[in-house]
Amino acid sequence: MSHQYTADYDAYAGKSAETRHLKPGELSTGTTIMAVQFDGGVVLCADSRVSTGSYVANRASDKIAQLHDHIWCCRSGSAADTQALTDYVRHFLSQLAVETGRLPEVKVAAHLMRRLCYQNKDNLMAGVIVGGWDPVCGGTVYNIPVGGACIPMPFALGGSGSTYIYGLVDAEYRENMTKDEALALVRKAVAHAMARDGSSGGIIRTLVATEEGNVRDYVSGNMLPYGPAGW
Amino acid sequence: MSILEYNGAAIIGMAGKDCVGIASDNRLGIQYQTVAMDFKKIFKMNDRLFVGLAGLATDVQTLDQLLRFRMSLYELREEREMTPRVFTNLLSNMLYEKRFGPYFCEPIIAGLDEKGAPHLATMDLIGAQALAKDFVVAGTCEGNLYGMCETLWKPDMDKEVLFETLAQALLASVDRDALSGWGGVVHIITKEGVISRELKGRQD
Amino acid sequence: MSELTNPAIGADPNAPSGGFSFDNVHRNALLLQRQFPSPHSSDPNASANANSGDRSILPLATKTGTTIVGVVYKDGIVLGADTRSTNDTTVADKNCEKIHYIAPNIYCCGAGTAADTEKTTELISSQMELLRLNTGDGQSRVVTACTLLKRMLFRYQGYVSAALVLGGCDLDGPHLYQIYPHGSTGKLPFTTMGSGSLAAMAIFESDYRDDMDEVDALRLVQRAILAGIFNDLGSGSNVDTCVIRVDGTVTMGRNEIRPNEVGPLRDMVRRSDVLNMREGTTAVLRSSFVGRSGVGVSMADVTVTAMET
Repeated sequence: MSHQYTADYDAYAGKSAETRHLKPGELSTGTTIMAVQFDGGVVLCADSRVSTGSYVANRASDKIAQLHDHIWCCRSGSAADTQALTDYVRHFLSQLAVETGRLPEVKVAAHLMRRLCYQNKDNLMAGVIVGGWDPVCGGTVYNIPVGGACIPMPFALGGSGSTYIYGLVDAEYRENMTKDEALALVRKAVAHAMARDGSSGGIIRTLVATEEGNVRDYVSGNMLPYGPAGW
Repeated sequence: MSILEYNGAAIIGMAGKDCVGIASDNRLGIQYQTVAMDFKKIFKMNDRLFVGLAGLATDVQTLDQLLRFRMSLYELREEREMTPRVFTNLLSNMLYEKRFGPYFCEPIIAGLDEKGAPHLATMDLIGAQALAKDFVVAGTCEGNLYGMCETLWKPDMDKEVLFETLAQALLASVDRDALSGWGGVVHIITKEGVISRELKGRQD
Repeated sequence: MSELTNPAIGADPNAPSGGFSFDNVHRNALLLQRQFPSPHSSDPNASANANSGDRSILPLATKTGTTIVGVVYKDGIVLGADTRSTNDTTVADKNCEKIHYIAPNIYCCGAGTAADTEKTTELISSQMELLRLNTGDGQSRVVTACTLLKRMLFRYQGYVSAALVLGGCDLDGPHLYQIYPHGSTGKLPFTTMGSGSLAAMAIFESDYRDDMDEVDALRLVQRAILAGIFNDLGSGSNVDTCVIRVDGTVTMGRNEIRPNEVGPLRDMVRRSDVLNMREGTTAVLRSSFVGRSGVGVSMADVTVTAMET
């Protein structure tokens, strides 16, 4: 048992900021995650690989976690840390919703998450993207990278695989996309990140959050929109 | 060198037919320097329950004191003797309480349960129990002890055969270990009482 | 000596009651820092370096180099485990139990440091029982056990090294979770853990199907554990299984397969007469016999009367 969990340290070398400071044996969602605003909501997207070193501990995980009715987040970094964080934020948000008697704003969710990430930055390894719909601001995306900043963005990328697709997304992103255009963009981008990044893979999970509700979907591993058009 | 090997020890617990035995060597050393040849490593908890403590001598004696304290308290409160199974769990929990700053001690528990059947148990320094039907060993020549016991042990030994088997397994093992030896002691626990014998061994 | 000041006997009301004790931590740090000059070494630097790079000074706790698995099938959960426990390269226990009780409808396989898996599952099973009594709910839920376990493991930041496969059936049907030492969890249809997890996963990945019947699921689990026993050096001895069904019944298959039985082989060996110890073989310096004192009451003498309720 010991040798499996104290996996070889070399496996961590050259990884992104999220994965480099993991303790030996700690599970990482060495990841590609992203979220995009569109008219009336947001699209969240993630791969499904969880790894310990070079072993894939879970090939069909769910890195898109619910924080409230219309508010969600994508997790990257330490699996244990991000699960604990989302559990806390979910708890605080549900408490807040009961106390105020209305739907919490995405802004509030993001700043709760930011506060936990910032105040415990010495003990955490978590990069989170919070996104969702609320009646005040509509579809909103906040990026909370390692360290605990909180940046509102029209679209956000995160995880070790994101470095491979910044250029692609910059080229393809347009303002005021429709839901289907946004979905096509995130699927294409994450598929390309999964192809190049060893610690991203599996299937593509997507979630669309709008006023009407949330719609989950996935693209299985043999149907990825990767490569030149018509490939 | 591990801190568990600082003072040296060899302890065996072994089951026979309606009897159980526990044996240890007598040496106390500071690494390779022998300091005492009459160091007590086996402690009587009650008439049918003995515990052997291998490891750092200071912790051996501290644990003995703590165990005697807890045993006395239990007997006063409950007005009955502690069974080996309860004692094993007590010791296990005492060790695990110090999970992150352990006593450097590996215990062996040998006793007869309420039905008079042998109870043998050992645990690591943080209290992971391992119960056995045949024999348990601990100390600096653990490997030697395992080898001798696997070879010599057989089921349903009477108390005299159990004594000879324990004694020979112990003496043969410590002769190939620099950190334990200087004679030994064997206790055979039976329903009628306890036979204790001091063994003649090499003095080098 | 906080142990000797038990609040129950009124000595010290401020003494800690329960939880880990860190009394020895400082002492042990000093002990482990101490240099142990080896008399066999003539190299003057050897003793100076002995404590820095030399990890062997730290005593090793018993690990369960393990294969543990779990699978969801049509009517429940099948858990499986091998039965070897190791201390470094020595087999510490040839037939230990790695499937732990959590609740009547929930069991948990443990890999990692033996004491940690044992005590963690013990603690959570006690918390689950108290929760059942407090809520008056007849049945524990698997997700509750999972949450309690992950909270405890996350609190200790991976230092309590227990890797668990938690399985059980409740009113929502069968559930299977994997729980890592740092406190992350996953809900899966099939999972493996421990040093033999790769060998076992190879079997699952090739032959797992959704909605298997009990016979097929049990056979799959047995094959996965056998793969660990034979292909992973940290795993060995026998196959333990546990079937938990949605109807609430549980079947523990302790030592269901014993592929490494040495008894028959040993019986074939003609035991040399030299190994049969005759009385008087050993030189004895002193001998004594202390008869049973008769003080104290044995278990047999105690009459148990039912508590008045």
